[in-house]
Amino acid sequence: MESVIKIKKGLDISIQGSAAREVADALDISTYAVCPDDYVGFEPRLLKAEGDAVAAGEALMSHKGDPRLRLCSPVSGTVRAIVRGAKRHIEAVVVETDGDQTSPAGDPISDSTSRQVIVDAMLQNGLWAMLRQRPFGTMANPDLKPKGVFVSCFDSAPLAPDYDFVLQGRDDDFAAGLRLLARLAEAPVHLGFRPRQRLASLPLPDGCKAHHFDGPHPAGNVGTQIARIDPINKGDTVWTVNLQDAAILGHWARTGQYRPEKVVAFAGPTAAHPQYYRLIAGACIQPLTTQQHDADTLPRIRHISGNILSGTQIAPSGFLHAHDNMISVLPEGSYHEFMGWLRPGLLKFSASRTFLSGFLPASAARRSDKSALGALQRHLRFDTNLHGGVRPLVFGEQWEHLFPFDIYPTQLVKAAAIGDIELMERLGILELEPEDLALCEFADTSKTELQALIRQGLELIRLSSL
Amino acid sequence: MSPSTDKKPPLRRLIESLKPHFSQGGRFASLERTFEAFETFAYTPDTVTRKGSHIRDAVDMKRAMIIVVFALLPALLMGMWNIGYQHYTADIDSLAQASCLMLSGGAFVWHCFLFGLVRMLPLIAVSYIVGLVIEFTFAQLRGHEVNEGFLVTGLLIPMIVPVTTPLWQLALAVAFAVIIGKEVFGGTGMNFMNPALLARAFLFFAYPKHMSGDEVWIAAKAWGNDAITGATPLAELKAGADVHSWSYSLSDLFLGAMPGSCCETSTATILLGGLLLVVTGIASWRIIVGVLAGGGLMGLLFNIIGANSYMAMPFYYHYLLGGFMFGAIFMATDPVTSAQTNPGRWIYGMMTGAFAVLLRVVNPAYPEGMMLSILLMNCFAPLIDHCVVGVNIRKRQRRALRVQQKEGKS
Repeated sequence: MESVIKIKKGLDISIQGSAAREVADALDISTYAVCPDDYVGFEPRLLKAEGDAVAAGEALMSHKGDPRLRLCSPVSGTVRAIVRGAKRHIEAVVVETDGDQTSPAGDPISDSTSRQVIVDAMLQNGLWAMLRQRPFGTMANPDLKPKGVFVSCFDSAPLAPDYDFVLQGRDDDFAAGLRLLARLAEAPVHLGFRPRQRLASLPLPDGCKAHHFDGPHPAGNVGTQIARIDPINKGDTVWTVNLQDAAILGHWARTGQYRPEKVVAFAGPTAAHPQYYRLIAGACIQPLTTQQHDADTLPRIRHISGNILSGTQIAPSGFLHAHDNMISVLPEGSYHEFMGWLRPGLLKFSASRTFLSGFLPASAARRSDKSALGALQRHLRFDTNLHGGVRPLVFGEQWEHLFPFDIYPTQLVKAAAIGDIELMERLGILELEPEDLALCEFADTSKTELQALIRQGLELIRLSSL
Repeated sequence: MSPSTDKKPPLRRLIESLKPHFSQGGRFASLERTFEAFETFAYTPDTVTRKGSHIRDAVDMKRAMIIVVFALLPALLMGMWNIGYQHYTADIDSLAQASCLMLSGGAFVWHCFLFGLVRMLPLIAVSYIVGLVIEFTFAQLRGHEVNEGFLVTGLLIPMIVPVTTPLWQLALAVAFAVIIGKEVFGGTGMNFMNPALLARAFLFFAYPKHMSGDEVWIAAKAWGNDAITGATPLAELKAGADVHSWSYSLSDLFLGAMPGSCCETSTATILLGGLLLVVTGIASWRIIVGVLAGGGLMGLLFNIIGANSYMAMPFYYHYLLGGFMFGAIFMATDPVTSAQTNPGRWIYGMMTGAFAVLLRVVNPAYPEGMMLSILLMNCFAPLIDHCVVGVNIRKRQRRALRVQQKEGKS
């Protein structure tokens, strides 16, 4: 067994409602959406109009800056709507499926297929969009070869899906996906595992390297893993790929069939029966959420595509976003609390010890703990209340406990707030994505939106270097 | 406490019926921020997150600040007692004092405490009223919410001035600290010097007669500015007293039964508050330990030199005297004005402690060095952070360079 990289800083937030290990089929959902905003820097040019017929893997949009980069429909059907926001900004292209979700099979990728042929095919059917590039988190540039590909094989976020379970029975896809990534990148593929993970025991293809991480969230964030394995320097490019996306790539490489099928966790304290669903990428979540909630409670529930620390808020009739592997639900927190700041706070969760709850032993959170303390811990209230007003940043030590990078978060956030490009780069912003600061944002007493600030900083650098 | 009850409590209903008058277009729109401050004081707002982290930590600025206020309470109560104790035990003839001294132990403690309470309340009231009026005005003008920082500052200021400070001087000092020390930089979070200490420094330099010497530390009456002569232990040391032959026992010093600023004398109760701050994580233990270590090391150094009786004084006396411990726990740890990197916090703390002792022992003019030492280090904190961050930046650059060289070779 390889040596384990120990992550000391971070926080596991244990919330009720993690998904039970059972999968329900939700492949018959009728509408699907592709949201160009999921892809940083993607400027969509529409290739289809409302009412047009599309096949699975046929392009809906292309990138204005590089028409090779395309976003494709996950299913076949008709373009039902083009959702626009302010200034005619394209928010989503909605496709209604005709029920036939299988696309004609192409040729499987063999060892003799040239790299360029594979790249062209992936650009053609939109699978290329699954490769993300750091710094900046954009879609991978087909002209650049990365110094490495990073795939995190576990998710440490609150309520996160268990990938060992999600990828059950797809070992071949997993292996084929990794092989494909190694060929595309012509660079090492780094995999981040938890110790004793089932996936880690599978034989790895050539060019892949396993790393083991132990510790609290964000140990499972690919950014944390990159920083420990091979940090990004200025001028470097690395790719990151979601594990499920890698399996989808693998399925395509193995069979030649385009089938963006995912198993997503539906989890959260308000879900009646949190569990996994098998569905197609971009699916409308309405059928799932009506299964999980009463109609009259729905307006008081926040739906999130992704995890509760860095996911995207969506409507109950919204769609699963591109890079997400779970739907989280939380009660909305729009309530006033009398003298809330003065209460002992036995049931209020805080990373600090400013409330009584901070003195509960962390071990009590475990499901198996039947003691009174464990029961108390399990009743901690989690909702979307901001718990206070927005204030200027005041820096205590709280971030340092939650941020496992060799980067000074305080100074970096200040640099991002004033938009100092040079300083941000020198402080290491290129190693980060907004999700890496999610825990700091969670714990911040000033209630500042740090992730938005980091994205803004990254965009400033990216756009100035174009 | 259910999030959505249809029946709201009367106070909530009152707030909601008043709110339109204090909102834009209402009759009292110019008091919008004041109303909001009181509203959020009574009820935490119902604001929800929009994006990013959808759940948020229950801690906010109000909670953080109220913890500091709680931490200050033991020292405040002990300080009130000490004001009375110093008054009744001072060496003057007075019928009231004579009769009071004959009271039994418990009754005497109460007597002392009540005397101190009567003396402290006007100081606290003036500090809060002046400061909050200014804060509310600035919040309204700038259009942001009232910041809770002054809850702490407003209590700290009366705790670190002599009990006989005239109220008008205190009012001026608070106004100076809030306006020049904080608001001109943009308010709490953007100031670079501790506002409470700035108020103290303002008084110290503007009205030295009322801030130093032997005539300010012991209140003569329950009102007014009359004082009884009595030097602080630090002043006595300066004048050549020897700790081995003076009238204060170590336990007197530890409990705080000595002349000094209102609430800074009791090391015991200050440590109690410090414990709360460290356990809750509000104050940086690195800074506190750093200050104690820096002061101790400097004290030991003077012990080795031992040129006079002050230098030869055992180093731990510095912890017990004057405002050292109060400064270490409540002043140096201000997250806004201290260093903001962990290595920086160590350096900042050590230097604060060392300078405080250095100023005490070597400086001919001022008996107390903590205030000046912390203000000095407040100025240097950004420089310390700059150096610490510089090391991190160079490490990153070297890493990139190493990779480049390796690629160049291969």
